[in-house]
Amino acid sequence: MRVLRIGLILAVTVVLAALPLFGSDVLIQFGINTLLLAVLAQGWNIIGGYTGYASFGNSVFYGLGSYGVGIAMVQWNLPFAAGLILGGVLAIAFAFLLGIPVLRLKGHYFAIATLALAQVMSAIVSNVSIAGQNIGLVLPPLNNDYLFYELSLGLLIIATLTVAWLTRSRFGFGLIAIRENEEGAAVMGVNTTLYKVLAFALSGLFTALAGGIHAYWITFIDPESAFDISLNVKMIIMTVFGGPGTLIGPVFGAFVLSAISEVLSSEVTNVAGLFFGVVVVAAVVLMPRGIADVMRHFRSSGWRYFIENLRAHRI
Amino acid sequence: MSAILEISHVTRRFTGLVAVNDVSFTLGQKEILGVIGPNGAGKTTLVSLISGTLRPSSGDIFFERNNITNLPTYRRARLGIGRTFQIMHPFPGLSVLDNVVVGALFGHGNGERDLTKAREKARAQLDFVGLGRFVDQRAEELGGPNRKRLELAKALAMQPKVLLCDEVMAGLNLVEIDEVIDVLKNIRQSGISIVVIEHVIKAIKSLSDRLLVLHHGDKIADGPPDSVLSNSAVIEAYLGRRRA
Amino acid sequence: MDLLAQVLINGVLLGGLYAVMALGLALVWGVLNIVNLAHGAFIMLGAYLAWYFYAYLGIDPFIGLPLTAIVMFCLGYVMQRSLLNLIVRAPMFNTLLITFGLEVVLTYLAQLFFSADFRTINPPYAGNSIAIGPLVVPLVRLMAFAVALVLTLGMWLFLLHTKLGRAIRATAQNLVAARLYGVAPRHLYAVTFGIGIGLAGAAGSLYGTVSQINPYIGATLTAKCFAISIIGGLDNPLGVLVGGLVLGIIESLTVLYVGATFGDVASFGILVLVLVIRPSGLLGKTA
Repeated sequence: MRVLRIGLILAVTVVLAALPLFGSDVLIQFGINTLLLAVLAQGWNIIGGYTGYASFGNSVFYGLGSYGVGIAMVQWNLPFAAGLILGGVLAIAFAFLLGIPVLRLKGHYFAIATLALAQVMSAIVSNVSIAGQNIGLVLPPLNNDYLFYELSLGLLIIATLTVAWLTRSRFGFGLIAIRENEEGAAVMGVNTTLYKVLAFALSGLFTALAGGIHAYWITFIDPESAFDISLNVKMIIMTVFGGPGTLIGPVFGAFVLSAISEVLSSEVTNVAGLFFGVVVVAAVVLMPRGIADVMRHFRSSGWRYFIENLRAHRI
Repeated sequence: MSAILEISHVTRRFTGLVAVNDVSFTLGQKEILGVIGPNGAGKTTLVSLISGTLRPSSGDIFFERNNITNLPTYRRARLGIGRTFQIMHPFPGLSVLDNVVVGALFGHGNGERDLTKAREKARAQLDFVGLGRFVDQRAEELGGPNRKRLELAKALAMQPKVLLCDEVMAGLNLVEIDEVIDVLKNIRQSGISIVVIEHVIKAIKSLSDRLLVLHHGDKIADGPPDSVLSNSAVIEAYLGRRRA
Repeated sequence: MDLLAQVLINGVLLGGLYAVMALGLALVWGVLNIVNLAHGAFIMLGAYLAWYFYAYLGIDPFIGLPLTAIVMFCLGYVMQRSLLNLIVRAPMFNTLLITFGLEVVLTYLAQLFFSADFRTINPPYAGNSIAIGPLVVPLVRLMAFAVALVLTLGMWLFLLHTKLGRAIRATAQNLVAARLYGVAPRHLYAVTFGIGIGLAGAAGSLYGTVSQINPYIGATLTAKCFAISIIGGLDNPLGVLVGGLVLGIIESLTVLYVGATFGDVASFGILVLVLVIRPSGLLGKTA
């Protein structure tokens, strides 16, 4: 069974890697977008799914990654790789500096604090001249979607492998323990502060790299789009829809929701967003633990799964 | 015999309430110290102060002659202080085995780095407390008495030097209580000092080398079980003043 | 000196309005443990409702405020009863997600029905001002502030001194105990959420008289209401009032002394500081 799963994943990966060879331009662009979204979801999975800290501030990391690449390439004439490194460093620094005070907060307070941080960062960047202030930055163009596609896929693979490593490492066990019972974890010797910050930094790193790739790909960044909070919510929805704290769940969630959103917006533009909202509402009510959980339990409980969820959570 | 744990004039205040008031005592090597007292006496607060969940408002705590008063919780765990919780919150989403693995990975010293070895140690502890056949069940599916055993196994996997047991016998029937007493005595035999908080006086009497009695945050007695239990102040605390 | 006083007055008036906007959010959050990310969208709906009442029925926004509030109350009641009650006992995170979904739906519906044009509610006295010494106070802002004060004090009295208010607080503290006392939780929860949305509607009416309405104002308003609720604490309407005033004054001062675009930085910066130093808010109870 295990071998079957791994085989399936490998097959899908190979197909994905080969997609640019036979896909249309539109498909490849859709692919890049979706792959980057999947990276974001997987990154959020580390702090939100495995450690249990629902971050609404990952959009900050995304913005830092975007602006890292932007500033490096536009203001300092450095190559793309240097920009990515700058973005990564900024993200890790942010995670450590602001993570420590903010990760002391529990549950929804943490969520709100990160939301507030995201707003603050967005406002600050709009005022800083090196970042081009409100106007943003225009990056040197590179017309090679094929490269961006494979880069994004590569990043997704690395992110997923990292999460896989988490599930069988001491560090990952510590994170899960923190999620399940933080005081209990501390009492058993887990350095909860350090681990939370490390998880936050790791999550931020992947998010920033995705932001950097995206910035170079669309060759334009401005504060509003780089630090867009709705992006953060998308990450969360995709992860939660697919299954938080699982390996493939977030990727699956990203692919499915992205596809649905794409299909809808090509059919009926306005209704796309509306439908998205309705899907979210329905999903939270009927499958609060994501598709992964549905698939795990459907064989044993069938349709009763949804009813049991309802009964457990309603008053 | 030098004390492994020393509590020195420890006080803990909350707004409007003194939960622990100038309490001092020591715990010796391989000693079982029972802590009793009516509800609200400050027993769980005391355990939280030792394990690090709470900090004292004043006073010091020494472990193996080192002042640990300001050490964070996880450092105390690494030094060798393990505890069970009165209200049990296992890691609900994890299996019984994985719950204990956390203890093996992170406990005393730096724990066990290797996951496979940690799993082996965890299995050994689960067998020791009698949960061997539940290893793959989800922790939240365990019933009350088994949850207590799980708490013990988790703490033991840390290979502690001092074990703090908070009401590990509550809700058990007589047979189960005897089993727990045996397990605790075995634990002491293996070299671990134990602080046992309990309400079941008969059980704790047969188990403890010494008894400590708390009442409204004050220590009102400290000594061998027989003399403590016939101490009039202790009887008064539990039963109220005799009307002549 | 006069400029400072003017800015302070503006800040206070703004603060009152902010307070009443946040009141509903704080109530629903503190009592029902529902973090309503769609709260701003409901304020937006209330504003549109008041606009339509004025434009098509000629009802003055201040006089028609109770009407708007009642309509929104019914909407809130139905929403809680039919939808939100389904996830009340789920992890808190689920309420964040479901209300986010609601926010998306409401915003798109608003865009569909009301179009993206900017509107304001402009009763004939809209441009008038009152002079207090050297200071100029726009009349609508002053009226909005007065209404805000009334609503806030009213909520405080309601929660602390009426039977229904106490029942609501009791249910929040202990659902099982409330049931034992004969309280019907589904109904009570729906009433509470209804009140929260009714307040949002009222705030929307006021907002529509002093600022521009469009379908997209929801998100920013929600964020501000969060800040206010956290700063002021969730336990007490008076705390929300303080939070609103703090935010209003700080924003006005920041805009004057630092720059127009830094207003948001100040608000959210304060929020982060408060969260880190004292998560229960300035007036809330310590953990």
